[in-house]
Amino acid sequence: MTIADVLLSILWLALIIYTVTGGADFGGGMLELFAFGKTGPRQEVLIDESMDPVWESNHVWLIFLLVVFFTAFPPAFAAINVVLFIPLLLAVVGIVLRGSAFAFKVHGMIQRSRSARILSRIFSVASAMTPFFLALAAASIASGHIQIQNESQVVTNTGSDWFTPFTVTIGAMALTLCVTIAAIYMTVEATSRGDTELAEAFRRRGLIAGALTAALGLLGLILSPSEAAFLWHGLLDKAIPVVIVTMLVGVAAAAALWFRRYGWARVLIVAEAAFLLLSWGVSQYPYIIPPDVTAASASSPQQTQVFLLVGIIIALIIVVPSLWFLFYVFKLKKVAPDVGGAAQKPAE
Amino acid sequence: MSNLIAARVQMGNSLAFHIVFVVLAMGMPLMLCIAEGLALWRRDPVWMLMARRWSKAVALIFIIGAVSGTVISFELGLLWPTYINYTGSILGPLFAIEGIFFFVEAIFLGIYLYGWDRLSPRAHWICSFPIWISGIFAALVIVTVNSWMNTPTGFQVQNGKLTGINSFQAIFNPAQPYEVVHMILASFVGIGFGVATVYAIAILRGKRDAYHRKAMLLGLTFGLVAIPLQMIAGDAIARSLETQQPVKLASMEAVYNTSEDVPLHLMGIPNVPQQGWFTQGLVIPDGLSLLVGFSPNTSVIGLNSVAANDRPSDAEIVILHLAFDLMVIFGMFMTLVAVVFWLLFIVRRGRMPEYGWLLWGIILCGPMAFIAVVCGWIVTELGRQPWVIYNFLLTSAAVTPAPYLNITFTIFTIIYILMAIILIVLLLRLARQPMPKMEWAAVTAVNPAEPSAV
Repeated sequence: MTIADVLLSILWLALIIYTVTGGADFGGGMLELFAFGKTGPRQEVLIDESMDPVWESNHVWLIFLLVVFFTAFPPAFAAINVVLFIPLLLAVVGIVLRGSAFAFKVHGMIQRSRSARILSRIFSVASAMTPFFLALAAASIASGHIQIQNESQVVTNTGSDWFTPFTVTIGAMALTLCVTIAAIYMTVEATSRGDTELAEAFRRRGLIAGALTAALGLLGLILSPSEAAFLWHGLLDKAIPVVIVTMLVGVAAAAALWFRRYGWARVLIVAEAAFLLLSWGVSQYPYIIPPDVTAASASSPQQTQVFLLVGIIIALIIVVPSLWFLFYVFKLKKVAPDVGGAAQKPAE
Repeated sequence: MSNLIAARVQMGNSLAFHIVFVVLAMGMPLMLCIAEGLALWRRDPVWMLMARRWSKAVALIFIIGAVSGTVISFELGLLWPTYINYTGSILGPLFAIEGIFFFVEAIFLGIYLYGWDRLSPRAHWICSFPIWISGIFAALVIVTVNSWMNTPTGFQVQNGKLTGINSFQAIFNPAQPYEVVHMILASFVGIGFGVATVYAIAILRGKRDAYHRKAMLLGLTFGLVAIPLQMIAGDAIARSLETQQPVKLASMEAVYNTSEDVPLHLMGIPNVPQQGWFTQGLVIPDGLSLLVGFSPNTSVIGLNSVAANDRPSDAEIVILHLAFDLMVIFGMFMTLVAVVFWLLFIVRRGRMPEYGWLLWGIILCGPMAFIAVVCGWIVTELGRQPWVIYNFLLTSAAVTPAPYLNITFTIFTIIYILMAIILIVLLLRLARQPMPKMEWAAVTAVNPAEPSAV
C-alpha cells in the first residue's frame, strides 16, 4: 500500500463522514419543505435547533476533502475543476445561499412572517442544490465518460458527460438519501425531547424517503450497464460483497425505523451511507478519474504527500477530541429542563 | 470582458469580501475572551452583557465568513486550475493545516456560542481560547501560502516536472515573516477601531453609559497597541520589497527609471504611458530613497528595469499607487487618533475624553482600518502581476479555459452584494435590541443562543 493509497482512503473516509454529517444538514434543509401538518412548525424548529450548533463543523469536512484532494492529487483535481466546472459552480452557489439563508433565518430576528418564509424556502432549495450537483459530478466521474489523455487539453464539458439519465438518477438519489439520514436523526432528537408525535412525523418522512432512495438506487443499477459501463464492471468484478452488504444494511435500517428502534436506525443509516460510498470506491480503485487517471499517475511529489499525511495525523489528534466534546455538549450531555430553554421555546 | 479579467475580478471581489470577515472573525473572539474574563474576574455585569451581546453578532459574522471562505476554496480550483495544480503539489499541506485550525475554530465557536447554559462559567470562558488562538494560526498558515506566491522557494522545475520539493524552505520563504506579521496586526487594528467606531457612534448619540464607554475603551486599547506596531511592520515590509520584489515597490510609487533621490508622491496620479505624473500630489523629496535606505542617495530600482509585459499594466500601476497611499495615510490618521485619545485620557486622569471632534475622528477610524486592509491586499496582489506565482507561473496561464466566466462573475457579484446588505441590516437590528438591567442575574439570563423576539 502506497502513501497515495492511504491518502485516497482518507479522502473516502472524509467523504463518508461528510455525507452522514453535512449530508444530514442538507437533508434537514430539504425536510423543511415537507414540514406540514399539525407538527409542521415544531418540525422546522427542531431541525433548525439541531443543526445550529454543529452544521459549521460538519461543513468543514467538505473543505478538508477539497484541500486533501488538491494536495494529494493535484492534476486530477485541476482536470475535474475544468471539465465539471458548471455543476461544481452550481454546488458552490448552493453552499453560499444555504449558509447565508440559514444564518439570516435563525439569527436574524426576522419578525415578518413573509420574509421568514422566503428565507426558509431559499434555505431549503439551496440545501437541495449542493448535494444534487456534487452527486451529479461524482456520478459523471464514476461513469467513466471523462477522458483525459492530455491534461493541458481538457475543456469544460457543457453537459454531455454530466447531465445524463444516470447522473441525474444518482443526483436525485443523493437528495433522498440526505433526507432519509436527516429524518432518522430527527426521530432520535424528537424522542429525546419526549415528543413522540413529532418523532412519528419524521418516521413517516424517513420511510418514504428511504423507499425512494432504494428505488432510485435500483434504477441507477439498471442504467449503469449501458450508461456507466466502467462503474458496472467495477461493481461486478470487485464490489459484489460490498453491494450486497449495502442492500442488507438498507433493509435493516428500514426495519429499525419501521419498528421505531430509532437509535438503531441511526447507526444503520450511517452504515448504509458508508457502504454505499465504499462500493463506489472499491469498484473504481485505483482510478480517480476513470479510465485515464489513477491515484499513482496523479500523485503530487512524495515529500508533499508525506508532509500532508503527517499533518492529517496531527490534525486528527487535535480535532477528534474537540469534535467529541462538541457532540457531547450538544447531543449527549443532559441538561436540566429549565436551563436548556431551547426545547420549550415555541416558534415566534 | 475577457475571461482572464472576469476571473481576476471575481477572485478579487471574493477575497475583498472574505478578508473583512477574516479580520472580524479573528479579532472578535479575543474581544469576547477578554470581556468575559473581566466579567468573571470582577463579577461585572457590564462586561458580561457585552460578551453575550457580542456573541450573537459573532455567530452571524462567522457564518458569513465561513461561507465566503468556502467559495474561495472552490474558486481556487474552479477559476485557477493550473495554479492549484502547482501550489497543491508544493504547499498543499498548508491548506490542510489551515483547514485544521479552522475546524478547531468552528468547533469551539459552536460550543462557545451555544453553550452558555450547558457549561460552567469558567469552562465556557476557557472554550474561548482555542477560538482566537486557532484563528491566528489559520491566518499565519494561509498568509504563508500567499507569501510563497510572492517569493517562491523550495522547489525546482526540470523538464516541466516539479522536483526537489523542500517544504521547509517553501514555508519559510523570504516574504513570509513580513506578510504574516502585517496581516495579524492588521486584523487587530481592524477589530480595535471597528469596535471603537460602533460605540463612538452610540456615545455621540447620547448613550454615555458604562456599557458603551467600556466597549469603546476596549476597542481603543487594542487600536493603540496594534497601530504603532503595524506602522513599524509596514515600514519593514516596504523596505524588504526593494530586495525581494523591486518591481512591486517601483509600481507602488511609479518609479520609472532606476535612480537616487527618489521622492514620494502622496496621492499623486501617475501617467504611466508618458512616464510621468498627471498630478504630482504631495511630493516628499527623497522620500522613497530615505524609506528604503535611510539616505537620500539610496538607489531605487525602476519599472524600466524589466520589459513592459513583465510588470503590472499601466492601469494597475495607478491603482497600486493610490491603494498604497490610502493605506499609509489611513494608518497615520489612526495612529494620530489613538495617541491623541490616550494622551487626553491620561491628562484627564482616567476620565474619558468625549469631545465631539474626537468621537468623529474615532468613527472615521473603523472604516479606514478595513479599507486599509483591502488596499494592502490590492498592493500585494496587483504588485505581483503579471505573475500569480512570481517569476514562475503567469496569471494568464493559470486561468481556467471554462467559458462564460462573465456570467459566473455577475451571479457571484449579485450574491455578495445581497449578502452584505442583509448582514448589515441584521447587525443593526441586533445593536438596537434593548438592554436588560445591569445586574448579574438579569445579564446572565441573556441567552445568545435563543432566538429573541423583541
